[in-house]
Amino acid sequence: MLWESILPKAIAGEGASADAADLRMDSDAFAGFYERSARSLWAYLTRVSGDPALADDLMQESYVRFLSAARPPSLEDGEVASRRYLFRIATNLLRDHWRRPHPASLEDLPEEFFAARCDVAQNDSVAMLIPAMARMKPRERQLLWLAHAEGYSHQEIAEVTGLGSASIRLLLFRARRKIARLLREPASSGRLRSMGRLP
Amino acid sequence: MTLRSCSRDAEVRRLLELGHWPQSCTPELRAHVERCKACGDLVLVTMAFRRARAETMNAVQLPPPGILWWRAQLRRRNAAVERIHKPIVGAQIFAFAVTLVITVGFLAWQVRDGWNWMKWLASLAQSQVFHWEVLWPFASAKSAAGFLSLVPALALLALASGVVLYLGSEKHNS
Repeated sequence: MLWESILPKAIAGEGASADAADLRMDSDAFAGFYERSARSLWAYLTRVSGDPALADDLMQESYVRFLSAARPPSLEDGEVASRRYLFRIATNLLRDHWRRPHPASLEDLPEEFFAARCDVAQNDSVAMLIPAMARMKPRERQLLWLAHAEGYSHQEIAEVTGLGSASIRLLLFRARRKIARLLREPASSGRLRSMGRLP
Repeated sequence: MTLRSCSRDAEVRRLLELGHWPQSCTPELRAHVERCKACGDLVLVTMAFRRARAETMNAVQLPPPGILWWRAQLRRRNAAVERIHKPIVGAQIFAFAVTLVITVGFLAWQVRDGWNWMKWLASLAQSQVFHWEVLWPFASAKSAAGFLSLVPALALLALASGVVLYLGSEKHNS
């Protein structure tokens, strides 16, 4: 049948040139990229969403979308570009998740609920961050994580989040000041002193 | 809110990025960080996030990459099949529209002839002279031409119906 002969070409090329199709990751290259990037992506999704189960789902969906995208970053663009593209997909998935109607908004959830679901917290440094993160807005959590955990520049954060790079600096400054104040609150000051972060 | 950055902000950032804080920093810089609120916030937040990242990364059980790879292949294949089906659906709609137009035209033509025939029957009842030859509608040259045009129209209708049925069954089977 005619479409059976057309189908492999359509899958490989998808309207682009054959050279572009050749630059796609093969399964071995993807396995390497996945091993190097999956843990940091899962950490990002878990800490920003506050839900490890949701992070599992969104991480898998991010990789599937990354691989089946019409124009993903090619091998020539390098792993940094692929990583940034992956984080952008994950950020969009998070935004879509928050836009969907839910029985309760993330903002409305009590702090105990948030802390109970993040059972990956093992020691004080994470334990003191969880309640502080729960009191931040989703966008603030995204910006803070990308800037301070992933070490992205303002330009890179703008590419990942779709925000203007000029506004990133101000938003990040406000978010950092807010979370620093929350981390310095009396409840957590004892833990901070024990870590040597406060005089 | 004023956005003031400290003059030593870049220096502190560089040490944090390299992971050299606080081991490789001078006592003078450490004293500055304790006094400066902006630098203190930067150190506090960055250290907390870096540690949280390291711990969270160790807590994950990753699914094997092969599953994701094949899921993506399957999705791409389905998307390609959908793209190919789009023109086929268009052709089916076109074939159905053509068939519908021909059918409506044929029926209109037949209704008009039937209406003429009914009028003729009505006039026959009032007629004084009965002409037997007019009972056969194809006896005249005009009726013969109508019959000749009816045959290809019926053939075209049958062909179009066959195409529609074939395409419909193809879509159903796939």
